[in-house]
Amino acid sequence: MKKLLASLLLVLMVMVLAACTTGSDAGQEEPADDNEAEATENGSNESDGTEEASGENVLYLNNGEEPTSFNPPIGFDEVSWLPLNQLMEGLTRLGEDHTPQPAMAEEWEVSDDGTVYTFHLREDANWSNGDPVTAQDFVFAWEQLLNPETGSPAAFLGYFIKGGEAYNSGEGSAEDLGLTAVDEKTFEVELESPTGFFLHVVTNPAFFPINHQVAEENPEWHAEAESFVANGPFLLESWAHDSEMVFAKNPEYWDADAVSLDKIHWAMVNDTNTQYQMFETGELDIGAIPPELSDQLIDGENVTIDPLGGLEFYRFNVTEEPFQNKKIRQAFALAINQGDIAEYVVKNGVEPAYGFVSPGFISPSGEDFREVNGDLVGFDAEQAQQLLQEGMEEEGYDELPPITLSYNTADLNKSIAETMQSMLSENLGVEVTLENTEWNVFLEDQKNLQHQFSRSSFLFDYADPVNFLESFTTESSMNRTGWSNEEYDQLIADIKAETNEEARWELMYEAEKLLAEEMPILPLRYYNQVFIQQEGVSGVLRHPVGYADFKHAEKQ
Amino acid sequence: MLRYILKRLLIMLVTLWIIVTLTFVLMVSIPGSPFNSERATNEAVQANLEAHYNLDEPYHIQYMLYLKSIVTFDFGPSIKQPNQTVNDLLGRGFPVSFELGMVSIIFAVISGIVLGILAALKHNGMIDYLAMTFAVLGISIPNFVLATMLIQQLAVNVEIFPVATWDSPAHMILPVIALGTTPMAIIARLTRSTMLEVLTQDYIKMARAKGLSPWKIIVKHALRNALMPVVTIMGTLLAGILTGTFVIEEIFAIPGMGQYFVESINQRDYPVIMGTTVFYSAFLIVMLFLVDIAYGILDPRIKMNSKGGD
Repeated sequence: MKKLLASLLLVLMVMVLAACTTGSDAGQEEPADDNEAEATENGSNESDGTEEASGENVLYLNNGEEPTSFNPPIGFDEVSWLPLNQLMEGLTRLGEDHTPQPAMAEEWEVSDDGTVYTFHLREDANWSNGDPVTAQDFVFAWEQLLNPETGSPAAFLGYFIKGGEAYNSGEGSAEDLGLTAVDEKTFEVELESPTGFFLHVVTNPAFFPINHQVAEENPEWHAEAESFVANGPFLLESWAHDSEMVFAKNPEYWDADAVSLDKIHWAMVNDTNTQYQMFETGELDIGAIPPELSDQLIDGENVTIDPLGGLEFYRFNVTEEPFQNKKIRQAFALAINQGDIAEYVVKNGVEPAYGFVSPGFISPSGEDFREVNGDLVGFDAEQAQQLLQEGMEEEGYDELPPITLSYNTADLNKSIAETMQSMLSENLGVEVTLENTEWNVFLEDQKNLQHQFSRSSFLFDYADPVNFLESFTTESSMNRTGWSNEEYDQLIADIKAETNEEARWELMYEAEKLLAEEMPILPLRYYNQVFIQQEGVSGVLRHPVGYADFKHAEKQ
Repeated sequence: MLRYILKRLLIMLVTLWIIVTLTFVLMVSIPGSPFNSERATNEAVQANLEAHYNLDEPYHIQYMLYLKSIVTFDFGPSIKQPNQTVNDLLGRGFPVSFELGMVSIIFAVISGIVLGILAALKHNGMIDYLAMTFAVLGISIPNFVLATMLIQQLAVNVEIFPVATWDSPAHMILPVIALGTTPMAIIARLTRSTMLEVLTQDYIKMARAKGLSPWKIIVKHALRNALMPVVTIMGTLLAGILTGTFVIEEIFAIPGMGQYFVESINQRDYPVIMGTTVFYSAFLIVMLFLVDIAYGILDPRIKMNSKGGD
């Protein structure tokens, strides 16, 4: 018996060792495979000629983690849509000036009332398997986005399309959607109402086409590199789940001549310090800066800082004391020094927010939204104290009810919350208690109005101020303050119905001013995107709204 | 003996059932949902999704479904990565974590024992002091600190090893050292102290008197007894290594199971939480069982048919 057991253990040990060796063998195979692939790629790229001699031009990037899904309507996050933006292309693509440029659609017409868009697809727009990109591919993809069975978290973006919201809510049907494939290369879209920024909306990966022939045959076409069909600057050459992806230049892409990289290699390294160390040793070409090294690195020449449309802010719960009072809300806002928070706490070159809509949104007359509306909130301790006094008198308070400031657990959120705590104590004489919970719990509580004064952030989905402003209507599920204002609701409704762009922008200026006057939320700072890149890397396009584009990226 | 094993198997099943049930209760009692997002999701869509994952069923039905999925070992698709089933994730992540864990434990056992023997033989000598200083450091430095230090020194400052990822045998060295050092230090200290104790026993003197070579005495007579405590703590060390892999995998960007284990909880990805928990606990329970069996084989004084050891 003992011998039997001993030999069993021995067998187990051998198996363990065997597992180890097969494991490392598998690891060794990969580079060999790569070389092979590289060799064939070189062979097929002869037409490019001269530059090829020095070898392949591969850009090494980090995606942080495994993409959630490369199915366009599903992967509603940066880790999926950033790489997907290199593999696929919508009707339009954001250009260097961050405005939509012809892409899959070569040209388009808009009806006089602004509700019908007719897109003419490029004759030379093809999928990586050689199929032409057709209007039917767009109809298929957009129907899938809005289909309630798909469960797309990005479906709300398709509510601009006629019948979109009804279909997604399970009330309408796919036939009633305003989507028509007029012929193979003509795609017609009917909208609910004129949407001046619709061409920007369709640059979003949720609106990428799907090769319907491939997808009907294999609904899981997007899950593996072998079955993935691309229509963008790059194609998916290999995908080792959870560890790396390789994108290669897509020879079928209509603008392939403009693509200078041969490949993009994506690592999936989640740890900020590790990815920076990989950048230091040259294993990555572009990296993020760990917060501890920010002061040291931020002014370097190889650091790129680009604005990112969005706002970090705090919500007042106006259904709880003392924030039902406008003056008390204003007092809190004036007591917070946004400038100091941006410069000394968040750092990384971010801009303090003295308004709600971040800079970079250009009106039809060519002016920046932020500059036109100017500073709406500032830091003024004296006025803050006075407003607090007035507010307390209005409510008949001898002393302020206890206040709890909540944030979702993260180092930076904690530093900001502690700074706000001391600013409120110093400038208003108000003591607030801090509380933090894990993200999912936090969000649930916030949605149920269980917080009193809580942290929030907003990133734009499409490049129009209304994307942010409409969050604070009574109906909006993004409101989460309990604040309800008829005038504001009316303004947003008017903005959505207005066909004249100039007039629409006037209404948006007005809406933001009203928001500042009522102060249901307290703005802190705008976002930016900071990266450190190796010498010789250039041409990476980062938009304030939209996903980074490596189509024109170069590496010397 | 057979009865003992059968009894142990039964206890293992009960333990597993308790773990599964506790996990389920904890899982449904934490607030939040896998479909919780900043953006508004349509109610109809939300309802569809919940129905798709049976989250609209009452808890006892959900619980039965989970038990069924465990028995059939089919946990269904992940909620967050809908193209992947939990079995895909386990099948991909486990071999990597297993490889990392096993290589680390082999490294820890071999170098720990060698270090311990050397220290015991050169008791109070230079080697002893060096080995024990090293061991104290090994026990007191947490693995994530060691990992970061190793990367900075041996991969960034002196570019001997790659920083991270899991491509070649060279990529294994730093994570294995980071993960294996603490157990190695524990084993070394334990081996040293029991070895010192054993070396003063009468039967060792007897063996010496018989004129056996020093190596034969150590390997054949002393080591076998000195190893018993090491085997005893192997179970605890295994558990330590297993949980240690979560951190080490994160730092070295190793595509193992740890990421699913941690992230599934943050994302409320219920099938993945259940799948990883059941898998990990089953694995750990089986390993502890094997350790106990090995214990019995190494030490004839332990009778298997008496009440089971721990």
